[in-house]
Amino acid sequence: MPQPIIRVRGLTKTYQRGGETLTVLDKLDLEMAEGGYYALMGPSGSGKTTLLNLIGGLDHSDGGELEVAGEVLSSLDGSALASWRAETIGFVFQGFNLLPVLTAVKNVELPLLLTPLSAKQRREQALRSLELVGLADRAHHLPKQLSGGQEQRVAIARAIATDPKIILADEPTGDLDRGSAGQVLDLLGRLNQEFKKTILMVTHDPVAAAHARSIVHLDKGRLGSIEHNRPLEAAGARS
Amino acid sequence: MPIALIWHNLRRHWLRTGLTMASIVVAVFLVCFLRTMIVALNAGIEASANNRLWVQSAVSLFVDLPLSYQSRIAAVPGVEETCKFQWFQGTYIKPSNFFAQFGVDAEKVQTMWPEMKLVEGSYDAFVSDPLACLVGVVTARRFDWKIGDIVELEGTIFPRPDKSPWTMRVAAIYDADNPSFDKSMFLFHHDYLRKALESGEALGQQGVGVYVARIAPGTDATAVMAAIDELYENGPQRVQTTTEAEFNRQFVSMMGNIPTFLRSIGGGVAFAILLAALNTMLMAGRERTRDFGIMKAIGFRDSTAFGLLLGESLLVCGLAGALGLALFVGSAPVVAEAIARLFPGYRATPETIAVGAALALGVGLIAGILPAWQAGRLRPVEALRQEA
Repeated sequence: MPQPIIRVRGLTKTYQRGGETLTVLDKLDLEMAEGGYYALMGPSGSGKTTLLNLIGGLDHSDGGELEVAGEVLSSLDGSALASWRAETIGFVFQGFNLLPVLTAVKNVELPLLLTPLSAKQRREQALRSLELVGLADRAHHLPKQLSGGQEQRVAIARAIATDPKIILADEPTGDLDRGSAGQVLDLLGRLNQEFKKTILMVTHDPVAAAHARSIVHLDKGRLGSIEHNRPLEAAGARS
Repeated sequence: MPIALIWHNLRRHWLRTGLTMASIVVAVFLVCFLRTMIVALNAGIEASANNRLWVQSAVSLFVDLPLSYQSRIAAVPGVEETCKFQWFQGTYIKPSNFFAQFGVDAEKVQTMWPEMKLVEGSYDAFVSDPLACLVGVVTARRFDWKIGDIVELEGTIFPRPDKSPWTMRVAAIYDADNPSFDKSMFLFHHDYLRKALESGEALGQQGVGVYVARIAPGTDATAVMAAIDELYENGPQRVQTTTEAEFNRQFVSMMGNIPTFLRSIGGGVAFAILLAALNTMLMAGRERTRDFGIMKAIGFRDSTAFGLLLGESLLVCGLAGALGLALFVGSAPVVAEAIARLFPGYRATPETIAVGAALALGVGLIAGILPAWQAGRLRPVEALRQEA
C-alpha cells in the first residue's frame, strides 16, 4: 500500500447544541493512501462533512491527532493553516461556491493569487485548468451564465489550479442532474488516474461512490467499514 | 485581484452603492458648505486691519455721535487720520435689493481703506463730485451698474419731506485682493447727507454713527483707545473705542450663536451619514459571508477578508468624498457670488477641503471597521454554511 497521506488517530469532534454536547466524531482512526480515490459515505449526522472539514483544515478537532500531507494540523495557527490549505488542498463544494462577481477564469485565478506567479502566468494557468475541464470557451462567462454542471467544473478547475496534492469534494454531484454528475465524476476520476491526485469525496449517492476506488463508511462518528480496490472502469460503467 | 474584487463587489449592488455614495457626496458637500459659512461669518474679523480703530457711542451702536467729536479724536496722539462712517439704509427700488450704504469722508477713503482696489473709475472722480458714490464690485455686478450710472435711493432713516430720492452717480467700482474684505459696500459723501439735513431737504438726526481712526505704525492701540474713551468720559456723549476686529465681532454676535447652530447641523449630517454607511457595510459584510468562507477555504487569510471589506468601505466613501469635494470646490465661485453681500468671505479653503476629505475617509474607516473585523473573525466552516 502506498504511504498514507492522511492519518487520523483518535480524532474527536463535539458540538454544543442546546446545552447538550453532541459527539460528531468519536475517537476515529483512519488512514488514506496517497493517490487514492475515496468515497466517504454514511447516514446524515455520521460525521462525513465534519471529517472532510477537519482534514481540509477548515475546522479544529477537540481531540486526537490529524496528520495530512506530513503536517500535524493542530500544530498550525490560523495563518499557517491558511497557507497550508492554499498549497495542499483543493476544495469542491456541493453548491459550487464560485464568487458570483467574477468570471470563470477569474474564479480559477483566485487561489493563484496566493502563489508567486505573475499576472500573465496566473491567467495562462487558469486557462489551462479550464481547458482541462473542457470549459476554455466559457472562460469569460459569469457563474450565472453557466449551467450547474459547468459551474461545478469551473469549481474543479479552481481546485486544481494550484496543483494541490489532495482534492476534497463535499457532495460534488448533489446539486447536479445525472448527465452533469457523470461529467464531474469522470473528471474527478481522471484527476486521480492521470494527475495522481488524492481524492476524498463525501457523498450520499451510491452511483457517485462507485467511481471511487475505496469507500469509507462512517456511522455515528466512528469507522464502519472500508471497501478497497474497486476497479474504476467497472464502477464507471455503472454510472 | 483583491482590489478588482472590491470593484466587482461594488458593482454587485450598483443601486445601493450609488445611493450610498450619493448620500456621502451630499453630506461632504453640506459639511464643507456649513463650515465655510462659519468661516465666512468670521471673515470680517479675519480681514480686520490692526491699524484702524472704531469709535462708537458707549450707549449703543444705534446712537449717533456729534460731528464735533471728529477733530478731538484726530488730535489724540497716535491717530493719523479719522473718517466718518454713517449707516444710511436707503432703499434701491425695493427693500429686497438691500445693500449696505455708508456716508464717509470721501477724500479719506483711499488712505483709510488701502485694501480697496479700483477696477473702474477713479478716486479723483469720487472725491471731486459731491454726488458721487464708490461701489463694491459685488453690488455693481448685482445691479449691472456702470461708471456714470445714476443710482436713486429712497431714504428710510433719512427720508426727504417731498419723498424725492437721494440721487448719486457711480464714480468708481472697487474690488479687493483679500477675499474676506466686503466687496458690496456703497460709499458716498457724508457731506451730501449733512448738507441735506442742515438745509431741511432731508429729515433725521444730525451726527455720525461711527468714526474710524487710523493709527500710526508702532502705536500702542490700547493706549490710543483708552485716550479716545477718556476724552468723553464725562460726556456729553460717552464713546467706546474698539479694534476693528472687535467692532466686526459684535455684528457676528448680533446674529446669535449661529456658528454653534451651523456646527450642530454639520455634526448631525456627519453622524447620520456614518450610520447610513455603517448600515450599508454591515449589509455588504453579511451578503459576502459565504464569499469570505470560500476565500478562506481556498487559503486566503483572515486579514484578506478584513482588508477587502475595509477597503470597500474606504473606496466607496473616498470616491464619494472626492465627488462631494469636487462639487463643493466647483460650486464655490457660484455660491460665493450668490451670498457675497451677506457672507463676503465664502471660499473653498484647503483647510475645509481637508476637513471634507477627513470626514469621508473617517466615515469609511469607522463604517468599515466593524464589518471588516467580523469578516476577519469568520470561521470558514460557519461562513460556508451561510445560504448563498
